[in-house]
Parts: sequence; structure tokens; C-alpha cells
Amino acid sequence: MSGLRKYSAIARTSLEITFLYRTSFALNMIGSIFYVFAMFYLWQTIFLGSPGALGGFTWPEMKAYLLVAFLLNALMTWFAEWNMSVDLREGRVATDLARPMDFQASRFASAVGPVPFEFCSAVAVGAVVALMFGGIALPADGAHAAVFLVSAAMATLIKFGLVYCVSMTAFWTTGTDGITVGRAAVQNLFSGALIPLIFFPDWLRAVAAVLPFQGMVSTPALIYLGKMDTPTTALMLGVQALWAVGLILLGRLAWRGAQRAVTINGG
Amino acid sequence: MPLIEARGLTKKFRQAVKEPGLVGSLKHFFSRQYRDKIAVDHIDFSVEAGESVAYLGPNGAGKSTTIKMLTGILVPTSGSLVVDGLVPHEKRQQNARKIGVVFGQRTQLWWDIPVIESFNLARDMYEIPAARYRDNLAQFTEILGLAEFMNLPAAKISLGQRMRADLCMALLHDPRILYLDEPTIGLDIAVKDSIRGFIRSRIEERGTTVILTTHDLGDIEDICKRIVIIDNGKIIHDGDLAKLKDTYARDRVIHFQLARPPESMGPIGAGLPACEITTDGLRLSVRFDRFKLAAGEIAAAVMPHVEVVDFRIDEPEVEDLIRKVYLGQLSLSPDAPQTGVLAGA
Repeated sequence: MSGLRKYSAIARTSLEITFLYRTSFALNMIGSIFYVFAMFYLWQTIFLGSPGALGGFTWPEMKAYLLVAFLLNALMTWFAEWNMSVDLREGRVATDLARPMDFQASRFASAVGPVPFEFCSAVAVGAVVALMFGGIALPADGAHAAVFLVSAAMATLIKFGLVYCVSMTAFWTTGTDGITVGRAAVQNLFSGALIPLIFFPDWLRAVAAVLPFQGMVSTPALIYLGKMDTPTTALMLGVQALWAVGLILLGRLAWRGAQRAVTINGG
Repeated sequence: MPLIEARGLTKKFRQAVKEPGLVGSLKHFFSRQYRDKIAVDHIDFSVEAGESVAYLGPNGAGKSTTIKMLTGILVPTSGSLVVDGLVPHEKRQQNARKIGVVFGQRTQLWWDIPVIESFNLARDMYEIPAARYRDNLAQFTEILGLAEFMNLPAAKISLGQRMRADLCMALLHDPRILYLDEPTIGLDIAVKDSIRGFIRSRIEERGTTVILTTHDLGDIEDICKRIVIIDNGKIIHDGDLAKLKDTYARDRVIHFQLARPPESMGPIGAGLPACEITTDGLRLSVRFDRFKLAAGEIAAAVMPHVEVVDFRIDEPEVEDLIRKVYLGQLSLSPDAPQTGVLAGA
């Protein structure tokens, strides 16, 4: 497809810009390392208080879970911080729209560009943390690892779909900072990034099950640990795929509505 | 068939209305009030291929909104708009391929990466064939003098350099139509000249159609043959620039610098009954209709009575003309030509 070339050019540029902002990238990474350490010490204390398995997790598994959560959160961080309302306020959206590009696809390209770099940095950092804490559980075999990577890729697609949809609200409200922070909080809780969903009370777990967030951390992490049997894994991958497609389509729909509703700044 | 055709084109915005102060904000927080603002109100116009049109109006008149509809960024509320056979908002991407856009207030260049890389991205985005890209880039680099800052990121170059680079980027894919939204804002004379010259050359050599919005009347006189004026969302004038000047800018003012203050104005005034004569110390100014009198006749009537050291003639500036139109002091209707309102304002 010849149309692909322009989007890959955008992705490449976006990666290049991430390199240019290496200090900012590094500081962001350091911030999340502190967070990982805090989580490790917290859970270590909990596990020390009750030796053996907790909610079906052993300590090495819990460590792996936390690092997988860290890895998945590190992907598309740059895009997640994208604030559409700033783009709108400064009229940058108008510049984008004057180009022969699909808006969502070019946003996806610029979000996905830095992902390989984010992945490698997070794996490197994760490996160091894992060594410091005496190693983590690894996937049972190559097949599990491969399925995990597929699931992680879908988690990233869901993240893109969600952030894009949320950013669309910028067309109707003047600031999206509040909505962005709210999204991050809800996402952290319901994705299982803070606490594995298994520790939730039943009713809260039922809520989490019908939301898209579990596909962002919990599903890939459980696949990594081999906690789900094959039919469940297939089902959960299907749910991830549905959410990814659904959110991306919803984003396109919202975009159409936005174009009609909207004022783009600048007279 | 015209290249651009708008019929009854209208754009309505819903604006949130907030009363001033804290109480107003609080009210606004709980119950929002909106009112419709008609930014563009049933306008009709058409532009032929190769035309260069200045699209003028005071701030908030609806210029940018019209440009955004033409580029497919905004969806019209009603009316029809066809640009080169396409409805821009329905075929935004196809339309985007055929147009170049320069917004003076913001750049198309990527802020962080070298200018040349932004150009390369344009090549990929517009799918410009390699040979054409190479030729255009080489040509524009030379005319616009881009070589010295080609490898610097947009964040590090001056405004004048940025505008030249922006213009280059907007034209690399040889667009049929070039939309310029205040392209010379904040630039020095030399850069303005270079930009205007470049745009003119594109019009003459490639037949590019240009739609220009500006507050800089020099842009208009250098680039455009036709002006369209919009105010409050309605087109209040659409016509030839030269004709506009002939119709409304008939007055000239001739200023004489005198050796001594004139003893009496009587004889001069008697010789020039149709003119308005004013004095200010050693200066004597005569305002006249250039279709009725020649500057020589004025001089002949003045010189016998006073000793003239120097003189000069003020032509009315398009700027004054437009300012009067904006201020509502001049109604641009072809049936009611007005005289004696413009020069030396």
C-alpha cells in the first residue's frame, strides 16, 4: 500500500523527536522507576506478612506482574500525555487537517513511532529491577511469550483508542486536563496496574470485567504468568480485540461529530 | 467553469456566553447559555483558475472561517462549496493534495527537527515524485535563500526564515491553489519583498491560483488583481483593485512648501473653486479630483501668488480606502460613487 509510506514517515519522525527529548524521556522513566520500587517494597511487605501464595500469586509471580504492568504503562506514554485541547487552542489541528492524511491514522503513527524505543528502555530498566529483587517469574515457554506479545500489542491499541477518544472531548470542553487525569486514575485502578483484579471484591471485579481497562494490563500480565487456560486466553484476547476495534471506531465517529460541532480557533 | 464556486455559503458557531466575574463563571458552570454566531453569512463568490484574490476584512469578519471551509477543515452549516470539482469537507484528503496552505501565525514545519526533514516529510505526505521534489526543492531553496538554515530546526530560526521555509513547504507539491493567511505578518521589508516576489512568480509561471488574507495592504497591491471584502460575515465588495481605486480613490492632495506665509488665500481660492485648500504655517495643501483637474493646473493656479520652495503629491492609499470601508464611512456600492472622501486621511 503506497499510502503507508507517509504514515511510516510520521512514525519515524515521532521516534526521532523522542530521542531529541531524551532528558525529558529519562526523567519520565526515572519517575516511573521510583513508582516501581514503591510498589515492590509495598508488595514485599505484604508477602512477608503472609508467606506462600496470596490470591494465587507467589512473590516471584507478583514481581513479574508488577514489572509487566510497568512495561505496559511505559508504552505510548508520550502519546498518552498528548493534550488535544492544547493543539486545538493553538490551532495546530488546522495545520494537520490541511494535509492529505487521515487524522486518526497520523495520530496513531506518531503514537506508535516511539513504542519500540519505549519497549526496549522499559525492558532494560525492568531487568535491572528484577535482578535487584532476586529475579522474577518468566513465561512458561516460547508460546506463552509470543501470545503475551500479541496481547501486549492489543493492550497498546486499546490505550491508543482510549486516549484518542478521551482527547476528542477537547472539541466540546475547553480543557481536557481534568479528563486526562481522571482517565489515568480510572485506568490505573481498573486495568489492574495498582492491584491485580483478583484482589478486588466481587462486585468491583464484575465492573472491571465489562470495562476496556483490564485488557490494558491484567489480561497480558495473566497471559505472561500462564494464569489462564487456553480457552480463557482465547476469550480474553477476543475481548481485547473487540475493545481495540470498538474504541478506534468510536474515535472515528467522535471525530466526525467533532468536525461538525466545532470551532477551530483563529477567527 | 470556475475553479472555486461558493453559493450561499454559511457557517454558524455556537458560542458559550458567560457573564463577567465570579458570579458569571459560577452561573456558567451550572447552566450554560449559548448563542449562535454567524461567522459567514450566505456568501457567493467564484474564482477562476489563475486568479489572485485578496480576501480582506477586519478581525473577526469571517475570513479565516471561509479559508477553513475552502480547505475542508470546517464543515459549512449550509450552502454549497465546490473547489476544483470537489466538496472540500467531504473529500478533505483529496482536496488537501491539490492545495497549499500557509498560516502566518503558525508554522507547518515540525518544530524540533531540521527544516530539510520537514520538507522530506512533505514529500512523503504528498507523495511527490522524487524528480519533481528534487527540482522544486532546488529551485525554491535558491529563490527563497533557504540553504543557510536548512539544517536547523524550526525552533531555532527567525520568523522571516520560518515564513520562507513555510512557503516552500506549502508549494513543494505544486498545488493548484495556494491559500495564504496573513503570510507577511511581523516580517521585515526585505523578507516581505522576497515572499511577495516568489508568490508572484508562482502565479505568473505556474498559473497558481492564490487566495490571500492579510492586513498588509502592500501584499494586496503586489500580489492581487481582485479584492473581496467581507465584514460581519457578508461580502461587501468584490471587484477589480484598479477599478476600486479609480472609483473611490479619486482625490489627490498636492502639498506646497512655501518660502513665506501667504499674504492672502483669496486669489488662490478663486482660481481653484472646486478644491479644498488648507494652510499650516508654510505649507499649503490643495485637495482635488484627479479626473477633473491635473496637478499642473493646480500648480499654475498657485505659483503666481506664492513663492514655492518644494511640493509633493499624495496618492490615496488603498489602506485608507479599506480602512474607510471597515469603519463604515464608505459604502462600496457601484451605483453610488463617492468623491472627496479619501485622500490624505
